[in-house]
Amino acid sequence: MRLFRSEEHVARWLRENRYEPGRTVTAGTLCELAHAWWGNRLAPDWRPRTREESQAILDRLGLTGEFWQLA
Amino acid sequence: MDQSDLALRNHVYRRFAELGRAPELAETADELGLLAERAEAGLRRLHDAHWLVLESDRPEIRMANPFSAVPTPHRVEAGGRTWYANCGWDAFGIPAALGVDGHISSTCPDCGEAIELDVIDRRPKPNRDVFHVLVPARSWWEDIVFT
Repeated sequence: MRLFRSEEHVARWLRENRYEPGRTVTAGTLCELAHAWWGNRLAPDWRPRTREESQAILDRLGLTGEFWQLA
Repeated sequence: MDQSDLALRNHVYRRFAELGRAPELAETADELGLLAERAEAGLRRLHDAHWLVLESDRPEIRMANPFSAVPTPHRVEAGGRTWYANCGWDAFGIPAALGVDGHISSTCPDCGEAIELDVIDRRPKPNRDVFHVLVPARSWWEDIVFT
């Protein structure tokens, strides 16, 4: 999971390393995702999320489709 | 997983945030009043449950996501400390977990140029870089270090 300068840089890196493309998201979406995903990691009452709860976070940010399915 | 595993996990995360580094097995055992063997068995259960990641060759913490116990290309200034993140996603996760603003320094894997951005009020500034996820979600844990 890597940060790039732009989608052009992603495309070149994929081509040069012969990787199958995954999915690209903006830094803004990634930041929202990180806050939803990691925001409670240090909470004293932390409990593991269910897979359904994790999937709901991805869905809410529009990260849908087969690629984003956790199972 | 039971309440003692949850307590162990929460202790490790709390100490990681306090120390600015991963607590060592001996420290964790000592602080919780456990025999080292029992603490190690507990950490291995946490590893198996994907609650943290141990080094492949010893029972020491490699990742307590979003925090990395080893230097990586993703450095984060947040809460008065410097942290390492496991990936671009985790780099944003460190300010999120700490509940503070932060500054992320990374490197574009394509051109090697520095990527510098702030996270202010839960938003990236500037918001111009992109994030690529190579591995489908269902396979993220097959090789979490690569992912």
